[in-house]
Amino acid sequence: MKTDLSPRMKTALYGLMCILLIPFVFPTWWMITSSVKPISDIFAFPPDLWPRRFDFSTYAQVFELQPFARQYWNSAYIAALVTVGTMVISSMAGYAFARIKFPFSNAIFMVVLLGLLIPSEVTIVPLFQIFLGWGMINTHWPLILVPIFGAPSVFATFVMRQFFIALPNELEEAARVDGLGRFKIFWTIALPLAKPALGAVAIFTFLHSWNLYLEPIVFLSSTQMFTLPQALTQFTDAYGGAMWNIQLAAATMTAIPVLLVFIVAQKQFVEGLAHTGLKG
Amino acid sequence: MSQPTQAPHKPPFWTIARRDAAAGYIFIAPQLIGIITFVLVPLGLVFWYSLHEWNVLAASFNFVGAANYQMLLADPNLPQVLIASAIFSAGLVILNMSLALLLAVLLDQKLKGMVVFRTLFFSPVVVSLVAWTIVWSFLLQNNGGINGMLAMLGIEGPNWLRTPTTAMISVVVVQVFKNVGLNMILFLAALQGVPKELYEAARVDGASGFKQFRRITLPMISPTILLTSIITIVGSLQVFAQIAVLTQGGPGMTTTVLVYYLYQQAFQFHFFGYGSTLSILLFVIVAVLTFVQWQLRKRIVFYEN
Amino acid sequence: MTKHLLKTTAATAGIILGLAAAGTAWAQDAVNLRMTIWSANEAHLAMFNEIAEGFKATHPNVSVTFEPLPFDSYTTTLTTQIAGGNPPDLAWILETTAADFVNSGALAPLTDAFAATEGYDLADVSEKATALWTKDGQLYAYPFSTSPFAIFANNDVLKAAGAKTPAELIAAGEWTWDNAFASAATVGQSGKTGLVVRDFKFQTWQNLASIWNGWGAAPWSADGKTCTFTEPAMVDALTAIHKAIFTDKAMPGPGEDIDFFAGETGMTITQISRASLLPKENPFDWDLVPLPAGPAGEYSVVGQAGVGAFAKGANKDVAVEFLGYMTNAENSKKLAQFFPPARASLLNAETLASTNPLLSPEQIENVVISGIANGTVLPGHTNFAQIQQTIRAGLDSLWVPEADVAAVLANVCSSVSPLLAR
Repeated sequence: MKTDLSPRMKTALYGLMCILLIPFVFPTWWMITSSVKPISDIFAFPPDLWPRRFDFSTYAQVFELQPFARQYWNSAYIAALVTVGTMVISSMAGYAFARIKFPFSNAIFMVVLLGLLIPSEVTIVPLFQIFLGWGMINTHWPLILVPIFGAPSVFATFVMRQFFIALPNELEEAARVDGLGRFKIFWTIALPLAKPALGAVAIFTFLHSWNLYLEPIVFLSSTQMFTLPQALTQFTDAYGGAMWNIQLAAATMTAIPVLLVFIVAQKQFVEGLAHTGLKG
Repeated sequence: MSQPTQAPHKPPFWTIARRDAAAGYIFIAPQLIGIITFVLVPLGLVFWYSLHEWNVLAASFNFVGAANYQMLLADPNLPQVLIASAIFSAGLVILNMSLALLLAVLLDQKLKGMVVFRTLFFSPVVVSLVAWTIVWSFLLQNNGGINGMLAMLGIEGPNWLRTPTTAMISVVVVQVFKNVGLNMILFLAALQGVPKELYEAARVDGASGFKQFRRITLPMISPTILLTSIITIVGSLQVFAQIAVLTQGGPGMTTTVLVYYLYQQAFQFHFFGYGSTLSILLFVIVAVLTFVQWQLRKRIVFYEN
Repeated sequence: MTKHLLKTTAATAGIILGLAAAGTAWAQDAVNLRMTIWSANEAHLAMFNEIAEGFKATHPNVSVTFEPLPFDSYTTTLTTQIAGGNPPDLAWILETTAADFVNSGALAPLTDAFAATEGYDLADVSEKATALWTKDGQLYAYPFSTSPFAIFANNDVLKAAGAKTPAELIAAGEWTWDNAFASAATVGQSGKTGLVVRDFKFQTWQNLASIWNGWGAAPWSADGKTCTFTEPAMVDALTAIHKAIFTDKAMPGPGEDIDFFAGETGMTITQISRASLLPKENPFDWDLVPLPAGPAGEYSVVGQAGVGAFAKGANKDVAVEFLGYMTNAENSKKLAQFFPPARASLLNAETLASTNPLLSPEQIENVVISGIANGTVLPGHTNFAQIQQTIRAGLDSLWVPEADVAAVLANVCSSVSPLLAR
């Protein structure tokens, strides 16, 4: 497929991609530019590509109306913990399902895969009751424990399993002949090789945790504990009407860091996925 | 012989197989316990609720046996809800997969600046769902940005969110633009994993670009296609925030998909018992679809290691 | 005596519960009440915290936390908390879900407790305002906000289009829906927007009560059992609204979201509290007038919000006591800063002028005071959410140019009747 293209073909491709980009880029662009528009200009018709007047006070107001820095920290540390925790749990489970023979492993794997199939709306009420019983309502524990151990980590386990299945046997055989235990093999041989897959898992997990919306609304109740997606809905006037420009400023601040991380890490991300079992 | 002799018929308890088994169980234990606690037990509880009439406000919780399931069969809304779900999911999966594949193929070309394009196509994935949907709800209004642009071209656009057909198209398309970046990256990774030699050989044989794509690329990435289609279908059956913001299930009930209907019954109408019954239905549908796809993999997946 | 007994009971119950729950907390020390609200507004929170501080003077062991939940998912989140076995002690309740909460027995009765509270004077609260929140003579939630619907007019836009302003029509004694629609149509046909029913968006149909009440129309019978969308009054009212939208262009059509306060619209129907949204920069010449008279004469409509205490809460009695304190005559004055009160003693130009600095004395007299005193509350019903949704889906086919109003409404009734009859 990768032949050198003629200049005309190149121009055509660039043109096609630029047109395709519009629906992807325009909403984000509108979000960012509208965050510095006075509220009356936001709904101008047709939409302004560039603000007529600038009003940067929205960014200050975000921090005045909500403990936004605190909420930022909440989201960041929860996402970080969930990402690291998921990497540990799913790489261990994925490794075992892929490379260790033990009774019922396939049956157990099928049970674990069930987690992929259940929308979070389905189990939210029983989960609420469980965490209430553990005294963990209005704490961050449900947002940490469920993603690491529960349904959301299943996809990560699946990715890790696919990766470990593709590893050549010889690498381990030599170590086993030397008498290394499973933990040693996992830690010193398999895991270092799994960096690309772990990278992919990390990005998926981080994004999932960062954007989680239903669970925080249900489990958290004080603004100090809120996470970002939940905080975004809190920028309202006295009557529940949204303060759009402030909300969009907050949304912009929520999106930009993740976008930057993606820009920096995307090479590893794509290569990581290319090396996992998800490839062709 | 200096070695201590071992009775050949009495091997040590910790054979390699037993050690392996123990290690295996320890490795999967956290995940398995998590699944039992946070998936299986809640699922069992949901089934238990589905056998009850549960009015949250009145705090009544009465065993009614299969009554909720009989109600399910008699629910006059259910057929149109299932049809809406089928149209939504089918539309979403087809559009998402083909657009993701198209973008991945474009991004796989040897051109300068692909990193920039890749980032931009992926960017909606990191934008908050709420903000994304709200922006689109402005654009899709009758007097919104899209119809404004169409008017400049001399076309009178439809009232996107208020006409049954276009409302369904709108919710599908908005969701596709939001998340197609993930599948695009998966496909791109798969394309880059296809051995170059295969193309070389094909070119020597004089195969055209399209033929190469059909004969080499598609079979080689078919496992990715299978996996992403499963994830996308499962994901499509869980979409509800977008529908809540864009159409609230309307006009009529044309965009009321199963998960939105479930959400309405349980969380808006407070019928937790019936909502749980719908949850069980949703779970069964997802499980059956996934099982069928998994069974079909032998036919549609040409290459698997 | 009764009060003392109540307290002892509460304390005993608290001790037993406290012991049973954790074995650590004794009831006489800290009681923390939790109240869910849908405003995250700082000024509101400051006022509520101030009231909670005041309560500490008599109840040093009681603190109150105000928990703002997102407005859009307010009832959902509240219900999830209740379903999960973790209800708040007190909660704001929307008028539309009032019937559900009041009739379910989820809330604690308030009348007796309020009667026992010194200087409360429940009779000061208008009966019309408490009707929605009362069952069998007992008040189950206190309507802390009773906000009349009125019309805001942009005289600049109206005059530019050559339309008569509401003030002119009122002066001439011709402030009727016919003339209001005619003015709006003049604006609409000039290329701007005539009249917007705020927050209606072709979804929240109950807000149309601010129009159809002028025809004497209602969605269901007084006992709530019979659908009345097919009654002549409702057919006439909706025919008039349909004509105003699709024939005369007096109102924007579906899918056209327009904000009056951006300054390009002739008139809007909304609650008076939205006066705070009037633009401070580039102000336009605005007016606030009562709703016009309909074929059935003059009328007014109010939206309400209530606050109740949960009957099953561990600290129910303290919660009820706090509610009595929060809404007593003195604190009601504080609440009136933000929420139009339903207390006769506060319904005077003097009190309301300080809380609505933007409004002129006539506006307060004609719109706010008479609106609150005479207003009918927006329609509500047990199981409102499902009924709302069913009617919304049915009415969707009304919002097309060629709709057959009577036929659509017959369909609405046939789909909603089984729900009403339950």
